Amino acid sequence: MTSTYVGTDHIPVKRKAIGQAMILIATILLVALFITQTLHKAGSIAAGFDNWRPVLYAYLIWSIALCWGITLIKGERGQRALFVLPAFLFTIAMVIFPLIFSVYISLHDWNLSAFEGQKFNGIDNFIALIGNTYYWNSMLNMVYYLIAILFEYAIAFGLALLLNAQIVARKFFRVVFLMPLMLSPVAVSWMLGKSLMEYRFGPAATLARQLGWESPAFFSTPEIARLSIMILDAWTFIPFMMIMLLAGLQALPKEVNEAARIDGANNWQHFWEITFPLMLPVSITATVIRIIFKLKLADIVINVTSGGPGGATDTVTSFIFREYRDRSNVGYGTMMAVVFLIIIIIMMTALLNLLNRWMNKVT
Amino acid sequence: MKNKKIINRRQFVKDASTVVAGASAIAAGSAAGVGLFPKSASAANVRRDILRIPGVGKGSPTDSDWQKVGALCLNPTKARVSKGEFDGVELTFMGLNNQNLHNFLFRGFLKPWEKYTGAKIKWIDLAQADYNARLQQSIATKTVDFDILEMGAPFEGDVCGKGLASEMPNWVKEQIEMDDYVGYLKAPVGTWNGKTYRISIDGDCHNFNYRADYFKDAGLAAAWKAEGHKGAWGVPKTWQQVQEVSKFLKGKKDPTFGGDAVGYLDPCKGWGGFGFYFLASRATAYAKHPNDPAWLFDADTMKPRVNNPAWVRAIQDVIDVLPSQPANQLNADPGTTAFQQFLAGTGSMVSWWGDVGSMAKTSDGSVVGDVVGFDILPGSDDVYNSQTGKWDTLPGGPNYAPNMAYIGWGVYVMARVDSNSKKRKAAWSAAAHLGGKDISLWASAYPSGFQPYRNSHFNIDEWVNAGYDRGFITSYLESESNSYNHPNAAIEPRIPGIFQYYSVAEDELSKIFAGKFDAQTGADNIAAAWEKLTDQIGRKKQLQLYRASLGLS
Repeated sequence: MTSTYVGTDHIPVKRKAIGQAMILIATILLVALFITQTLHKAGSIAAGFDNWRPVLYAYLIWSIALCWGITLIKGERGQRALFVLPAFLFTIAMVIFPLIFSVYISLHDWNLSAFEGQKFNGIDNFIALIGNTYYWNSMLNMVYYLIAILFEYAIAFGLALLLNAQIVARKFFRVVFLMPLMLSPVAVSWMLGKSLMEYRFGPAATLARQLGWESPAFFSTPEIARLSIMILDAWTFIPFMMIMLLAGLQALPKEVNEAARIDGANNWQHFWEITFPLMLPVSITATVIRIIFKLKLADIVINVTSGGPGGATDTVTSFIFREYRDRSNVGYGTMMAVVFLIIIIIMMTALLNLLNRWMNKVT
Repeated sequence: MKNKKIINRRQFVKDASTVVAGASAIAAGSAAGVGLFPKSASAANVRRDILRIPGVGKGSPTDSDWQKVGALCLNPTKARVSKGEFDGVELTFMGLNNQNLHNFLFRGFLKPWEKYTGAKIKWIDLAQADYNARLQQSIATKTVDFDILEMGAPFEGDVCGKGLASEMPNWVKEQIEMDDYVGYLKAPVGTWNGKTYRISIDGDCHNFNYRADYFKDAGLAAAWKAEGHKGAWGVPKTWQQVQEVSKFLKGKKDPTFGGDAVGYLDPCKGWGGFGFYFLASRATAYAKHPNDPAWLFDADTMKPRVNNPAWVRAIQDVIDVLPSQPANQLNADPGTTAFQQFLAGTGSMVSWWGDVGSMAKTSDGSVVGDVVGFDILPGSDDVYNSQTGKWDTLPGGPNYAPNMAYIGWGVYVMARVDSNSKKRKAAWSAAAHLGGKDISLWASAYPSGFQPYRNSHFNIDEWVNAGYDRGFITSYLESESNSYNHPNAAIEPRIPGIFQYYSVAEDELSKIFAGKFDAQTGADNIAAAWEKLTDQIGRKKQLQLYRASLGLS
């Protein structure tokens, strides 16, 4: 037993030294490879590798050495650190580093077709973005799309109330209403946007004609096209809000409801005075998550309208997609993505703060 | 009721294969042929036999059809490669995955080749819209992970100019019979610094597809006369006439299918840059002067011409006839205009690549096979002269300038195979098989994504023997050959990033067509964006390449 004991007080010096040496050697290897490869890529030295893969391997070795070394140095405390450390190192590799690298790329003029490759251009991309009418047009569209969430919320709440009531075939309807959420937005684009709403043969267009709309073109005028995209997106994600609200409704304390009924509250009073306030925390959670989903809206737009007509349905993400994919404008496209991320972080932080204050007041 | 034997496709292929198998068995002196299509089918018979797979009017070809065609066209490979010679070789092929076109065909064509040579092919399938970005990324990040590439000539500046392609061996030139290419696909297309890199498998140009029934209809002719239009009712020969006919048809009825009559179909929605070709097809007759090879940029400065009076006129033409087009036209991309509208019976005129013609009679989705006609793109009564800044009326009549849009797909072998002689030979052999003379005839005749591009493709008797109506196929092939051989053809510049120019233009055009800008303002915006792009990519080199693509020193 003593040979495997790694308690803090009984770690031999030699063992600590081995752990420290492991970490040191792995760190030197990682730093040396990183510097060598950076200089090689910058053209300063001839020695180096064709790609950055060896540096990645060095990072993996360093991560293993760090985890192992810490257990050797710190004993049991080191073992406890292993519950978090691998996840932390993974996050650095998969989230922090790409984010930093994105900021680095966004400060470059890098068109994939450019003869001179990438060139550092400071904040030129940001300045260009400030004057880019397409970007701000898509940002304005995002505001419209976000406003639509209010209507989605109202419908989702209505459906949740319905499915929470004692209706016939309740389980069946719960499954049916959830089905759009199971579909990929790309599939929704084709099934609804390009088939059901197809101008000549689409059932929705045919129905609209029978109802008196002579030319049922769902994607040809800016307002109708934007509304159609909102409907397609809502159709996909209302079930998501609905299922969250339904879970909230089912968790409401029955005593409060029964007390309200005994006190003679009618249906509206029961909803407005009891159910709605009690559901506020769930409602806010569902809405905030929905806002985050909405800010990523792109696939339906790309597939159905390509952002048109005249940019009326463009989202920030679909515009970034075009700038990056069709125009290979990597530096500028990345700057747009970084700025959008910063705007989202600021907006969501402010929104959550406001909601917290409001909730504190209300409750 | 006529006593007519109804033959379905399965029966037809069975019958055809029985005939071929019997004939070849006799030729080989053997009691039984090996496989469905034996090796010894003569070269002349091969062309006849492959055109019967599955047979004109017998529906869309399937994977088994493509494999049969691939097997029948293996003789040139067998003459240069011994059985199993490429055992252990694995090649990666990158191309398009458009439904039942491009890579779908290549897979079928190459299966018999793989079986015979022993090589294996891995596939990288890309959607049309993803193709440009994937290729550009591979080039820019030096991560070419494919050995064989299906690519359009506009990218040659990016690939061949950067030393990423393998030079074509002489035996390949012989195998594919390069001399058979139509003139405009010969050097400098496919070459870079005097070296040949490309096996052409396509010969792109836009032609003019029209509904002959509209222009033979007595009712429409009478209405045309009654409304006081000039000249007889007939197929428009100029864009001025296209405009007049499109406006005239609004409110009339389709003479064959009975719905609303529609004139010209403009794609107004972007298509990853490819949508710009359709404005270009309207503009070339205005912008491509016979005395000036340049039409998209000034050849001395790379200054865009897209906002000159010729291009603005083409944009204005679209705006003017939009009210006469289907109500959803703003959301119609080129795929919609060709396949969901024209081939499905909506609209009477559309410019497109040769796919419309090759699919009109062979695709399950087409209803216009018996009523479609073809011509080169319409001309213009006058043409803009960029040197003088005036519109010229040519003494010989209207100015025609067929748009050689995309210059066709080709197959390229990447330089990364050069270090391994066995792999290099295998890659070129696979590419040569796809670009073979006979296989290309089949690809021209059936839905494939490719159109005729060899002089031998214009032998009308071959097509008639295959089951095509002589009038139909003559009209189709003449529209192609007359476009290729036109002295004032507008050749697309093979400059890096050309689709970036087109993509920027698509965004601005979408705004123009949606009524946010007038034609001139929108065109000025496109020109400004293009200038910026040229500076970003590198004006000096772009200018050099542009001049080279125009044949200027």
